[in-house]
Amino acid sequence: MGEVIVVTSGKGGVGKTTTTANVGTGLAMLGNKVILIDTDIGLRNLDVVMGLENRIVYNLVDVVEGNCRLAQALIKDKKFPNLHLLPSAQTRDKSSVTPDQMKKLIEELKESFDYIILDCPAGIEQGFQNAIAGADRALVVTTPEVSAIRDADRIIGLLEANELRRSDLIVNRIRMDMVKRGDMMSIDDVVDILAINLIGAVPDDQNIVISTNQGEPLVGSDSLAGQAYMNIARRVTGEEVPLLDLSAGNGFWSKLAGVFKRNK
Amino acid sequence: MNQYVTLKWNKYGVTLVLDDKIDFETLIEAVELKFKDASRFFKDAKTAICFEGRRLSDEEEQQLIQKIEEITDLEIICIIDTDKEREEFFKHVVEDTIREKEQEKDKKEETAESGQFYRGTLRSGQILESDGDVIVLGDVNPGAKVVAARNAVILGSLTGTVYAGMNGTGSAFVVAMSMNPMQIRIGDCIARSADSGKKKDSEPKIAFVEDGNIYIEPLNKEVIEDMKFLK
Repeated sequence: MGEVIVVTSGKGGVGKTTTTANVGTGLAMLGNKVILIDTDIGLRNLDVVMGLENRIVYNLVDVVEGNCRLAQALIKDKKFPNLHLLPSAQTRDKSSVTPDQMKKLIEELKESFDYIILDCPAGIEQGFQNAIAGADRALVVTTPEVSAIRDADRIIGLLEANELRRSDLIVNRIRMDMVKRGDMMSIDDVVDILAINLIGAVPDDQNIVISTNQGEPLVGSDSLAGQAYMNIARRVTGEEVPLLDLSAGNGFWSKLAGVFKRNK
Repeated sequence: MNQYVTLKWNKYGVTLVLDDKIDFETLIEAVELKFKDASRFFKDAKTAICFEGRRLSDEEEQQLIQKIEEITDLEIICIIDTDKEREEFFKHVVEDTIREKEQEKDKKEETAESGQFYRGTLRSGQILESDGDVIVLGDVNPGAKVVAARNAVILGSLTGTVYAGMNGTGSAFVVAMSMNPMQIRIGDCIARSADSGKKKDSEPKIAFVEDGNIYIEPLNKEVIEDMKFLK
């Protein structure tokens, strides 16, 4: 039986989709059978980040409404045959699917996948309710900003209210230089406020922008963010992995890598 | 009793058979006499009237009717013409008009089927469907979709999805000023964009199916002349 993980944040733009793509791909690289489900009906993005947009024929709503078989809507990843995507519909809205339908769909997928990762839309309305309906655990993504933390706090409360007690925190877009100057909250500050288990921290990395635009998750690459995401994937499987030293992000090597990237 | 006028009744009207040898004054008197005799049977019926046996001018006809209405309570609602020539003329005109109207209707249906213009850019999540051809005066962005039973012409940049030839003939084409579709489907053939290589097409191109494959070629005379299905 597979494990169902919802990636959520409350606030938009903190990196749910990027996290879903990278952690999902990381889990697939570790040899798991993974399916990513985009539950952001009407504003789908995961397919773009995964670079699979041009393969979409059927989507989540088609499956739920019985317009196609489940297998027809699943898109196999370009690189990893054990990684699949169930894209969301672009022409519909969140109310096209109910939490019960999601539960049923996930039960079906649990049979054949090790990890089912749900990319949750921003907000706490029906899209959120759909996404968390069948989930076993949650990855709460936040950035070190008060607004994102406020929303994350609300989300954690809602998850608990919905009997989803296993929530882990991902702090995204950390800039160690700013933390050192005291201009940004540190990871510890964020964890103190939210008081849930930290499963990983991802530095602010321009490579993320590049990888998103290219439609290829950077997990497993040499970049600091890529390593951070890989570590999160490992920790999701239960492996004990020490936290990365993110301050290296502004060190000599990354700067050198940046120079090479620019010259290409 | 003179027999200058004979009345023939049926359920819906009366036919007056008129003598054409007497003068009109005498005739009108005869008619008056005839109707006076019969007036108590008529009450206030609505009736059609028909004149036979004598050619009457419009004025004479009018006079007769006036007379009849004067002396009886009949309401003459129409005059039926027995003139063959006139009947032929009427028939001709009516039939022609009906035919013309039908042709016009057919034409209208045909245009509804043959094409649809859309002015504006189709953005992500928007679908334009048509029973015939589609012409988009604008761009089709990623996430947007054009579905046409026949051909699709995008007078702008095509970076979204287009389905043409959905009527199942497989002989449709797609034209775009700049052809970079996410997905393109013609009949039962589907092609998707390449995963890498971002060279952007900016010249007008045409996509069509030949031997079960979708071909995308520059839009020029040679290609159009070579296209098998248009022959």
